[in-house]
Amino acid sequence: MKFLTTTIGSYPRPRWFREYLKEIEGLQKEGHDIKIDMEVYKKALKEVIENQKKAKIDLLTDGQLIWHDFLAYLATKIDGFKMNGLTRYFDNNVYYRIPIAKKELKRKKSIIEEEMLMASEFEKNIKAVLSCFTLAKLSKNEYYSNDEDFIFALAEIMHEEAKVLSKITEYIQLDEPYLLYAKEHEIETAIQALEEIIKGVNAKFFLVTYFKDAKSVYPYLLELNVEVLGLDFVEGFEKNIESLKEYGIDNKSLQIGIIDGRNTKIEEISNIESKISRILDVISPKEIYLSPNTGLEFLPSVKAHEKLKLLGRIKKNE
Amino acid sequence: MSRKLLPTTVVGSYPKPKWLNRLIREYNEGKIENEVIEQAFRDAIKAVVKEHEIAGVDIIWDGEMRREEMTSYFAEHIEGFTIYGEVRVWGNNYYKKPAIVDELRYKDELAVQDFKYLRSITEREIKVPITGPYTIVDWSFNEYYPTKEEAVYALAEVMNTELRNLVKAGANYIQLDEPAIPTHEEELEIARNATEIVTRGVKAYIGMHMCYGDYSKIYPEILEFKVDQFDFEFANRKFEDVKIFKQYEFTKDLGFGCIDVHTKKIEKKSEVKENIKKAFEIVEPKRVYIDPDCGLKLLPRDVAFEKLKVMVEATKELREEI
Repeated sequence: MKFLTTTIGSYPRPRWFREYLKEIEGLQKEGHDIKIDMEVYKKALKEVIENQKKAKIDLLTDGQLIWHDFLAYLATKIDGFKMNGLTRYFDNNVYYRIPIAKKELKRKKSIIEEEMLMASEFEKNIKAVLSCFTLAKLSKNEYYSNDEDFIFALAEIMHEEAKVLSKITEYIQLDEPYLLYAKEHEIETAIQALEEIIKGVNAKFFLVTYFKDAKSVYPYLLELNVEVLGLDFVEGFEKNIESLKEYGIDNKSLQIGIIDGRNTKIEEISNIESKISRILDVISPKEIYLSPNTGLEFLPSVKAHEKLKLLGRIKKNE
Repeated sequence: MSRKLLPTTVVGSYPKPKWLNRLIREYNEGKIENEVIEQAFRDAIKAVVKEHEIAGVDIIWDGEMRREEMTSYFAEHIEGFTIYGEVRVWGNNYYKKPAIVDELRYKDELAVQDFKYLRSITEREIKVPITGPYTIVDWSFNEYYPTKEEAVYALAEVMNTELRNLVKAGANYIQLDEPAIPTHEEELEIARNATEIVTRGVKAYIGMHMCYGDYSKIYPEILEFKVDQFDFEFANRKFEDVKIFKQYEFTKDLGFGCIDVHTKKIEKKSEVKENIKKAFEIVEPKRVYIDPDCGLKLLPRDVAFEKLKVMVEATKELREEI
């Protein structure tokens, strides 16, 4: 079995970069659409990538340093969306602007291609992050006659983006926390839409869920043609183990979200290791990716650094 | 509490004078001595209190000149909290998110000195706003207690001491600010128990302020809370929420937020009057308190002042009519 470490996506912005953004964009909603200096962004990006390298993380993410609206940020890059009032992001004390689909959605240009190109200057094969069903659920649809059409329109756009991204990186992660809150009738649409994104794209796909256990959707996740499944073993440890026990993992790899990305408490390595071995008592996938359960931006930067170092240390002890 | 019909009041915060912001910045950079900033706070409070008096507000507070925001200010004064740094709330906005790292214990007073000072400079009635235990825990990391529930109750005990001390110092109207409660309707029971703990043996009129969130998810359940008054924002959602509270008999006094704090536009007196009347669809006038939706601190100071004035004048006219 191969053990690797990876991050989920977001990372606290370097303090000076935070100040820079505040300076040019201000504190209001309107400021988010101001063009920032990409050279300055690149400097911040380099810092975040270096942090991960220093912590000896195997598969890195770019920290999503300009994603003001968490996953809803992707909508700001898609023609047809308009960003609206603020609302709570899942059960976190953080907020995002609600994207509203006002007309036909179109991929006018790159969504995250530009960011990934810049990140690739510092490290080959950074894991790209996209989302479809969750993005749809965080948004409002005022154009399409039904939600299915809306979701598939998004899937088509993400498929185009994934094709472009696959020329920059081998790894694409689909963040779909909303699957865990989906109503029964939505799940099948969501899975089909995700399949549309993946189809024919030459990349290693991760399907990642977080904020709770995946019990309600687990059998559907197995059907999906991705190589890696990511589950939250901080919030949903017991229930996720039950699912693994009942359904196995086929020939997929498992991304184990084991470090708490939403609490400052630094875990005991021995505790984490015994949790990992409990998971491996149940299944034995060919590859294991160890990761925080969520992006690390929910933490103050000093704690995000510590968690990153902790993550780097687990592997050596295995 | 107040004998006057439709007493006017504030939720708490008021824009800081620009010179105070400058001095706070210099103080944080170590350029100013303690006694200078202390004097500055007192002078700022005098100015703000005078503005409230001129505007004609009946029940006032000190404008929260000493508080930067509503979580870490209290956490810094309670044993068991630490602050590692800031986290993002949205866009480029961050707050110092406290972490509970040890057993929570009473350390310093939180608002007793502020109350005493205010009492010494005004004849007006005073309301003491203080962030409630549920909201402080919800907006903090918990490293110490096995569950959020235990952390909330532990903090409620600490704050109960503070509330009792406030009453000893002469306070008779305390407002618990609990904006996090409507965002977690599944934890209403915890919030209710916490409120019971925090108000236990506290012989004062207790209000609870909640803003944002969907009130329909917590009403009528919150009527079981041990408080005398609930204070809600109504102007922000154009008074649409009035209908939520009409569905069941409202058994508490009502703090009626009738001034929008998210827009610089100053409301017209006639429109404020009409809006206040909507409160009477929920409860009879003698149980209604009039205030802005929330703290005024994000507005320019002259706008905040004008808004208070309009609110008071509209209320005065209405008093004559009913």
